[in-house]
Amino acid sequence: MDMAAPLSRKRIIFLVRLTVILTTVYFMLFPPSGGQGLQTWGYLFIVFYLLTNLVVAYIPDRYFYDDRIFYGFILCDSILLPAGIYLSGYVGSDLYLMFFFIISLTTMSSHFGYLIINTFFFSFLYAWLLYQRGLLTGPHATGYWIQIPFILVIAMFYGYLVTTRLQDKDKKINEVRAYYEQIVRGTDVFMCIVDREGKIIFANPKIINFYGYQNKDDLVGLELSQLYSEDETEAEKTLRQVKSVFERNETSRHESFDKKHGIWFAHTLSPIRDAATKDVSAVCIISKDITDRIEKENKLNNTIELLIKTRDQLMQQDKMAALGRMASGIAHEIRNPLEIIYMGLDYLENNIPDDQVQIREAIDKMYHAANRADNIIKNILSFSRKSEWKIVQLPICKLLKNTLELARQSLQKKNVAARLECADESLEVAADYNMLEHLFLNLFENAADAMADREERILTIRAYKKRITEIGYKTGYRYTDFFKIGDDMVVVEVSDTGKGIPKDVLPKIFEPFFTTKPVNEGTGLGLSIAHMIIERLSGTIDVASQENVGTTFFVKLQPEMKFITKQEE
Amino acid sequence: MPTDIKVLVIDDEFDFCYFVKTNLMQSGPFDVLIATTGTEGIELARTERPDIILLDLFMPEMPGEDVADALKEYPETADIPILFVTALASNDDLSLNQEGKIGNNYIMPKPIRTKKLIQTIMKILDRT
Repeated sequence: MDMAAPLSRKRIIFLVRLTVILTTVYFMLFPPSGGQGLQTWGYLFIVFYLLTNLVVAYIPDRYFYDDRIFYGFILCDSILLPAGIYLSGYVGSDLYLMFFFIISLTTMSSHFGYLIINTFFFSFLYAWLLYQRGLLTGPHATGYWIQIPFILVIAMFYGYLVTTRLQDKDKKINEVRAYYEQIVRGTDVFMCIVDREGKIIFANPKIINFYGYQNKDDLVGLELSQLYSEDETEAEKTLRQVKSVFERNETSRHESFDKKHGIWFAHTLSPIRDAATKDVSAVCIISKDITDRIEKENKLNNTIELLIKTRDQLMQQDKMAALGRMASGIAHEIRNPLEIIYMGLDYLENNIPDDQVQIREAIDKMYHAANRADNIIKNILSFSRKSEWKIVQLPICKLLKNTLELARQSLQKKNVAARLECADESLEVAADYNMLEHLFLNLFENAADAMADREERILTIRAYKKRITEIGYKTGYRYTDFFKIGDDMVVVEVSDTGKGIPKDVLPKIFEPFFTTKPVNEGTGLGLSIAHMIIERLSGTIDVASQENVGTTFFVKLQPEMKFITKQEE
Repeated sequence: MPTDIKVLVIDDEFDFCYFVKTNLMQSGPFDVLIATTGTEGIELARTERPDIILLDLFMPEMPGEDVADALKEYPETADIPILFVTALASNDDLSLNQEGKIGNNYIMPKPIRTKKLIQTIMKILDRT
């Protein structure tokens, strides 16, 4: 036996048995003096033994580390060999077989204690056998006497070598195993090993405790989906990942949320490969609790979102402030000349004879023109003045009622019937009262004008809360959107039964100074100011119209103040 | 004429002053003096002692408020009522009360027509 080569238990058994076979064959062919060659029984025995050894060669190594199998073999051999020897009737050279037999037996000792016992026991057994056969007292007695201590020493020596090698190897294996077990046990991560179907082969104590089991045997054999009992999608996701690792033979990573425990996990799935074939035989799932990190990430994202929102709003405010300043400046620059025009017209009026009708008419027209100019300034100024905006939480239905009341006379004059439908009187929006009033007054008047030549003149106003489900203008998932999917908004519908807005005109209606009315009748600023007011309030306005049927404006407003930052003075 | 109401107009816009003078003097018993800077106006006010001063708020050389403060300093002008005239405001956003005042000050937003101007002047003077 080559002592330098690694000794596995299987190899030991195999080689010993091989030695027995070869020795027996040798004695069959060259029987020593005083002995007969092996009889037929002997041949049969060798053949049988050879066959069993071939079987041994194909049994995987690891079985021999099962003590039952290992010592079982030894036991069988212990019975078979003497039986064979006895049956073969061969007396002389069986002693050589015994020699090797004893050595092999002693090398099976897993323990020094057993080694010593075995060595002495079998040496004495051998001595007794010799004595029984009268060899110790016969002609070659000295030779046989020497054999006894010789066998003792040899057996002890080989036994010692083999045992220490085995023990070393075992010790090393145990050390390594203990080392890894410590890691697995003490680790802060959740570790489990699953097979191709997602059945658990191994789970570390952390997982066992986490899912409320007592020991790992409860978990082994369970499917992953049974662990994630509350959450089918999570189980499916993980199972898919497992399968993918099996197929691609690569580590994969993913994150998941455990609803039951409220914890975020980062999973790393690594393939465990068979040492020989390099195929994936199992997947090791290591999961780490990353709830902290996710929470921090979310907080960070929220902060970024808030910062961007705030920055945008500040930019907007800045723009508005600049506009405001500009508007003030422009207003002043225009009003002074307007004043001179007025005073000039006053002078002309005073100094023109009454009968100059045409000249008076001309002066009249000039006044109207100057008035129109002043009105435009008034409109722009009233909107752009920062100090006027007081954004509060106000009851929208009340506001609409009041505004309708303000418009009542004008509506009655135009024979318009108005209807207000408010589902919930307590419905609130975040806005500036005056601006909203201005806005809705404008919409009501527009509606009334649109129905001027119609038979049916009904103005319908509806106010209700709506959950946002669709993406639209400034409505969606982005940081800059006013309305987020899933949030609520308050919708005010202003519907008329008027002549409607043609499709090609529809995109322009919010443009400043755009109007379809005759020159004297409107500034064309109403809707553009309405649009600006609504944007200022972080709302949106939509319009739907059908020619000859009517038009509906959808004013969408923020129900709560949290979205609109308060205007600083 | 001695019973004429003496009006001092202080405004950096000369044409405005011109028209106020022309229109007022054509429409009623008014004697109108003009100044196009605050300093000039204060001087005129001290020497001529007008019954009422029309004062523009937004003037490049000396803002209207400073002029008003200065006038308050001099005993001879301290009691003359001042009607602030300005293009910087409109009726709506100054929240003028019924009498066209903010606090103790009368304010007339531009643009105004002559008739309204005269009405306001009379109202102010009737009080005092």
